[in-house]
Amino acid sequence: MLSVLTLLIIGIPWLGAACIWLAGDRRPKLLHALATSFAVLAAIVTLAVLPFSTSNAVIRIAMGGILGDFTLIPDGLGIFIAAIATVVGSAAVIFAIDYMGQHAHQLARFYALVLFFIGAMAGLALSGSLLFAFFFWEITALCSYALISFHNDNPRAVAGGIKALIMTQIGGVGLLGGALWVYAYFGNYQINTLLTQYHSLPPVVLSVMGFGFLIAAAAKSAQVPFHSWLPDAMEAPTPVTALIHAATMVNAGVYLLARFYPAFESIPGWSIAVMTVGVLSALLAGLMALFADDIKRVLAYSTISQLGYMFYAVGTGSIFASQFHLFSHAIFKALLFLSAGAVITSLDTRDLRKMGGLGKSMPFLRAMFVIGALGLIGLPIANGFFSKELILEGGLESGPLIFYLIMLFSAGVTALYTVRLLYMIFWGEPSGGPKPAHDGLPAMRVSLIVLAFGTLTTWLLAGSFSQMLSNTLPFHHLEAEPTIALVKQICLAPTTWIALGVIALGFIAWSARARFTAFAQAFRPIAEAGFGFEALNRQIVNGVKRSATFVQTSQTGQLNWNVVGILAGLVIVLLVVLRGV
Amino acid sequence: MSFSLFNLAFVCGIGLLGIGFYGLMVCRNLIKIVIALQILVKGALLGLVAAGNLNGQVNLGQSMALTVIVADTIVAVMGIALGVQIRRRVGTLDIRELSRLKG
Repeated sequence: MLSVLTLLIIGIPWLGAACIWLAGDRRPKLLHALATSFAVLAAIVTLAVLPFSTSNAVIRIAMGGILGDFTLIPDGLGIFIAAIATVVGSAAVIFAIDYMGQHAHQLARFYALVLFFIGAMAGLALSGSLLFAFFFWEITALCSYALISFHNDNPRAVAGGIKALIMTQIGGVGLLGGALWVYAYFGNYQINTLLTQYHSLPPVVLSVMGFGFLIAAAAKSAQVPFHSWLPDAMEAPTPVTALIHAATMVNAGVYLLARFYPAFESIPGWSIAVMTVGVLSALLAGLMALFADDIKRVLAYSTISQLGYMFYAVGTGSIFASQFHLFSHAIFKALLFLSAGAVITSLDTRDLRKMGGLGKSMPFLRAMFVIGALGLIGLPIANGFFSKELILEGGLESGPLIFYLIMLFSAGVTALYTVRLLYMIFWGEPSGGPKPAHDGLPAMRVSLIVLAFGTLTTWLLAGSFSQMLSNTLPFHHLEAEPTIALVKQICLAPTTWIALGVIALGFIAWSARARFTAFAQAFRPIAEAGFGFEALNRQIVNGVKRSATFVQTSQTGQLNWNVVGILAGLVIVLLVVLRGV
Repeated sequence: MSFSLFNLAFVCGIGLLGIGFYGLMVCRNLIKIVIALQILVKGALLGLVAAGNLNGQVNLGQSMALTVIVADTIVAVMGIALGVQIRRRVGTLDIRELSRLKG
């Protein structure tokens, strides 16, 4: 029974994608109904599997030959990511009913890709085989590319999609290399084999794998120095942004590191490297968010910054804190993005400078945005508070002090840019820009309310979440703690109060912003250039494009040359076979 | 290696393959390409029959060859039919001319 349900988590969204693809674009209402029902059904099935999480493979299919076994393991880490993918996915699909109304002629492609992505993301999290995890990983990257470039008549959307595809492929190649290496040494692709027997690997191999996976994770999770694809990915329709580029796919990197933490933690320098990536991302992305004028780019930078917190937590060994923050972040960031999407459809602009003073005409969206902002800043009652404090606490205990101080500073920066964002949309002087057309359409409101409720309450699940992780992750040695103990621990820790103080400083900095104007103007060009990393990313993308053009010259399209190529290939194969025998 | 019918068949098969590949490499006329393809496949057929003989599975080799003959005839018919249509519509059978029309 459990095995069927686990398979259904991947199967239902993919079946839905196939149905929608077959249904075509002609009847939008049918598409809305199909997409919503399949997404919600997948969420229900995932939540039904949640209490039965286990560290054993519930499905094991021998794929034969070099493909090894296809296994699905609904352990705490995996089923939890799958739950986020399906639940936030449902919210995004419901939101899209209103949001995508204007693109009715492209609806089938949109919904099919979104559902295809949801299934692949669940598969990535549940797969116990590194090779199949790689396949799912690539499918998520492909869906992400296709959805960023959804408006394919917009050159910026196409460029953003290609950039995201190329940058996340860095991760894919690393993962494939790791999978093949595991196969070379252990004869199968099972992640658990690696986690139990990593001692028998030569230290050099383990190190290369550890750092390779770090690069893979940093590229997928848009961490410094590979972060610049995420802001450019904001051309995607907003429900996609909320689902893929805030709540699920970008978390795959954090998930990867958390999953392999037991094997890699002993590699000299690995933890520090992970922490460095996290700290740099949290700080630099926070500073970049301060200067962005596009509502979605601000949120994209804040996503990079919050993912930096999770990387930092993995580096300090607080796996639970990192996954808890991932959980909180997925919910409040999806809420923020969807609220932003509602604002965008209402005003038909993404430019913050054309907004202002909208709070009176959009009280509902303002309330939703403020709840999301509470989570992002990390103020009590919202889930972000508890997870962020846990990370900072763990950082003070087991990380270098300087990193802790930078993370504290980043928390202040977070407060500052969030207040700036809120102020520029809902308070301040009206800019005379477009008048809001609505205050959240009905379907939008449904998904926003669900997510807002989640933002305010999911921290109550901390205890059972920690119980689930410690029960089903035998290699991570996590201790289960009840919610009350966790809350008490967080509230009594001095770091919490220090952090709240720094956050308050962030607020004060906003109210005294007039004094910093000159400094900010001087700093602005540096932040807008992405601290020089933008150029690096652009060079990688251009390099890949150049090599693609170079390889293209071999495609003459002339039969004669193709036959020469075939013959040459035949000769090479024959030579290899002869030498091999 | 003594001279035998099988060796002769293999040598002939490889010879036909060579002629076929040579034709594919140098010919620009669509009809000639179809002919070269036919010669190529006939070489492969000879190889199939000879290999079946060598293995002691004469029937298998020959029935495979028959199957390939049927499939190959269809390829030839389709190729030539395409050639006729292209000649009528475009006015040339030169594949370099044809590939300039792409895009």
